[in-house]
Amino acid sequence: MTDETVSRRTFSPKHLALGVAVLGGLVLLCWVVFSRLHYHWNWSGIWEYRKLFISGWLLTVAISVGALIVSLALGGVLAAGSLSPNSIFRWLARGYIELVRGTPLLVQLLIGYYVVANALALNNHFIIGVLLLSSFAGAYLAEILRGGIESVAASQVEAARAVGFTPAQTYRHVVLPQAIRRVLPAMAGQFVSLIKDSSLLSVIGLEELTQQAKIANSATYSSLEGFVPLAIGYLILTLPLSWVASQLERKFRYED
Amino acid sequence: MSRSIFQLLVICLLAVGVLSCDQADQAVDAALRVGMDPTYPPFESLDPDGNPTGVSVDLAIAIAKDLDRPLEIVPLPFDGLITALKTNKIDLILSSMTANEKRRQSIDFSEPYVRTGLALLTSKSSTIEGLDDLKKPGSKVAVRLGTTGEAFAAAQLPDARVTTLEDNAACVMEVVNDRVDAYIYDQLSIFRYHQQHPDTTHALLKPIQEEFWAIGIAKGNDELRSEVNTALSKIRKSGHFDELADRYLAKEKASLEAMGVPFIFVREEDAGATE
Repeated sequence: MTDETVSRRTFSPKHLALGVAVLGGLVLLCWVVFSRLHYHWNWSGIWEYRKLFISGWLLTVAISVGALIVSLALGGVLAAGSLSPNSIFRWLARGYIELVRGTPLLVQLLIGYYVVANALALNNHFIIGVLLLSSFAGAYLAEILRGGIESVAASQVEAARAVGFTPAQTYRHVVLPQAIRRVLPAMAGQFVSLIKDSSLLSVIGLEELTQQAKIANSATYSSLEGFVPLAIGYLILTLPLSWVASQLERKFRYED
Repeated sequence: MSRSIFQLLVICLLAVGVLSCDQADQAVDAALRVGMDPTYPPFESLDPDGNPTGVSVDLAIAIAKDLDRPLEIVPLPFDGLITALKTNKIDLILSSMTANEKRRQSIDFSEPYVRTGLALLTSKSSTIEGLDDLKKPGSKVAVRLGTTGEAFAAAQLPDARVTTLEDNAACVMEVVNDRVDAYIYDQLSIFRYHQQHPDTTHALLKPIQEEFWAIGIAKGNDELRSEVNTALSKIRKSGHFDELADRYLAKEKASLEAMGVPFIFVREEDAGATE
């Protein structure tokens, strides 16, 4: 086991060569696919609109960071609610989670923007966007957190109680440290999804990266060019997160 | 159990309290909120710096000036504009929207300001020469969601296979890649997209249906409607529409007129013709 971890983490010339070969193959494939299309590429127009992409990318980053924080807090509250001994809290949390997980994000965004935000007299697009995305991601995070907490064996909780821990101490010193370690990879994966899901916010007129790409595409009468920087913009955010997720997964796999 | 029910009641009351407080705070916004889909140059678009630009933006500025209210441009997807107007997210729709019967069932319109028509963007290999060819069974058509092109295809082309897509780019790509025979959209856009893809597309600009663009206003908001109509009439008389045409549409106007397809802002004597 240990030998394998060591060899996987060192960066040998063999791995580098393999990496370059795979990347080269992908580039070649893309080139062949794209060149088969009879399409008059016009990059100068998109380049002219680079500011739009940058402002959209920054907004996507801001929404993602905001939604990450709010959804984490919401997920924590919902997980606590669904594990609560109080049946009202449990029903509320379970009901919310099932409602959100059982309906498409697009539907939630449209109802949330046109109906709920109206009722709450919320008019700031950014805040509405962050709240809607958080309410969606929060339900998934709650399930991940609940799964992590429930995965800690009941015998450990009983043992903690036997040595005189209060319920709070049991959570603080026994359950949470193990649970959090176990759910970190799944949470990182959820955050990758959250970043990509933010692209749907264009339906409520938020000028995030996807919306700006659409605008730049139409302003320059091009059809496809804008999607290339769009994909790169998301990859810049999601690739490091995916990498962190895989590192965490590997780390905790061997420790458990 | 009774404690649980009590807690639930308290939560419900709190929620109702919060909602009703906010409802009362919802004051009438002084700014004129104009909704548009900024993916339709040269009418509604953004410049490379991200500022709204185009014929409709200038028109909105002129109307807000006449109404003596500050202007707020609200960017929204085209198929969300009517919902936004009905839920009081915006005051006006100024987004090159055709005033047709179906839309009139849910919103009101100002007097028309542009007369245009639906045209066809066909693929180079297609044999489509006009509307009659599209009516044949098995013809393939692309339309954009929520547009009059979509409504036209649904009503007039029952035998065609219709692909409904969310943005223009996707519809144009269907034609460029030869997956459909024609894309049904307005003359001016078809003209521009053909110029962008001269090797792979044809533009059939003879209108298959005449259309009038007007400004969308919530049903029953007659005060704003008459204010907007007065503003439009003033703008028309001042010659501002000709300035807009020269500034944004010089090339299109010349090309379209050379093909015998006039693209015009509605003249005073035509205004009200469709009311």
